[in-house]
Amino acid sequence: MTNQTKSQFVAVASITSELSAVMVVAKEISLAAANAKAIAFRAGDKAKGFQPITDFINELAKETIELVTDINIHALVLYRLTVNEFQKTTAYNKLELAAKMAGDAVYANTMQEPLDNARLSMQDCQRQFKRDVSQLLGQLEAVMHHARAARVIAANSRIEASQAGEYLQSLQAVAESVDKAAHTIHDNVQRCRIALSIYRNN
Amino acid sequence: MKMTKIYEGSHQWIMFGRDEGKPANIIDTNQYVVRTANRCLLLDPGGAELFAPMMAAVLHHAPVDQITDLFASHQDPDVISSLGLWDQALTNAKLHAPAIWEGFLRHYSCESIEYVPIPDNGGTIKLDSVELQIIPAHYLHSPGNFHVYDPQAKILMTGDIGAAFEAPDAPVFVDNFSAHVEKMRHWHQRMMPSNQAKRVWIERVRNLDIDILAPQHGRMFKGDDVKRFLDWFDALQVGIAV
Ligand SMILES: [Fe+2]
Ligand SMILES: [Fe+2]
Repeated sequence: MTNQTKSQFVAVASITSELSAVMVVAKEISLAAANAKAIAFRAGDKAKGFQPITDFINELAKETIELVTDINIHALVLYRLTVNEFQKTTAYNKLELAAKMAGDAVYANTMQEPLDNARLSMQDCQRQFKRDVSQLLGQLEAVMHHARAARVIAANSRIEASQAGEYLQSLQAVAESVDKAAHTIHDNVQRCRIALSIYRNN
Repeated sequence: MKMTKIYEGSHQWIMFGRDEGKPANIIDTNQYVVRTANRCLLLDPGGAELFAPMMAAVLHHAPVDQITDLFASHQDPDVISSLGLWDQALTNAKLHAPAIWEGFLRHYSCESIEYVPIPDNGGTIKLDSVELQIIPAHYLHSPGNFHVYDPQAKILMTGDIGAAFEAPDAPVFVDNFSAHVEKMRHWHQRMMPSNQAKRVWIERVRNLDIDILAPQHGRMFKGDDVKRFLDWFDALQVGIAV
């Protein structure tokens, strides 16, 4: 296995592990939203501005979870494709070697057709891999977009929290945890994207 | 890869082995090819490392599209880990292999090649006008294990039975049976698990008319050495590791 294939396997496998961390964090946001909603309800008028924010946070967490679930399915497909591409490339190289070794064998020329087919199916696989990587990068970008939105909301929450009197501290804690979670999601997804992006065009 | 024709009649048997390009740390194997008018059967086609030299060697005898059949005596990697590569090269081929190993062997990838499961009681492989018999040899050493007998050529291909480990330039036939015994003893005692299975197999094989006994490793046995081998194996206690 070449280093290129090795790192391709690692890159694809790492997506799933990074994303499982994202999933945990997204669920935490969802919990924080539920928590915030309860506090805002108790706070009544003092946290009026906070109430629509909690719904928004909850919605965002839900969407992130859905997206990540979908990406995980795609990452699995991409992993299979990586295995497939590895097999096709190995087969092509071995067929090429066999053709070379056959030298002046009576039927050496009959290797040409399987060799051509192996090349085509290897190239097919490589194209499909690149296509799927681009698509996955697009999906990861969507998750990052959500993470950025969550940070903006966290900032707004802090402002709203400051007007909530005795609830200030607990609402601020909610805003803090949303911000932290969004940060983690952003970082993890960014790592996935960097790992994958080298396979988009080469 | 050394090629030795061991039968020439209405069809041919060719033994391939003693591959000089083989990495030193993998086990040396013999591959056998049965060539009929329009078809070609590879018996225990070998490990993945051996695919390219084996393919190249077969091209001296048959065009790719006439390699129509593969046979795997059992599931070991030295027997058939090249399957995934043959699968990419052959578009019109069947793999005859023990039914119980189907789910295992498919790990090597077997998509364009059709897996023909051999039931426990064996069967036949028809190649043009030649009919080969698939002889059960379970637990010798693999739990699902078969040999191939050609009644016309009087050759019995015996997989790991009769195996010995030799220098890369060793002759392909046993020429001094008593000296050869020491190269086989430990292998058979350690690799063959069951005295009962051994007894049943010897009984079955003694009824066949055999000129050449052709194992997957080492040298072939010819003429009287076939009987000598069966007698020796009959008397040997196997399954010694427990
Ligand atoms: Fe074996
Ligand atoms: Fe073997």
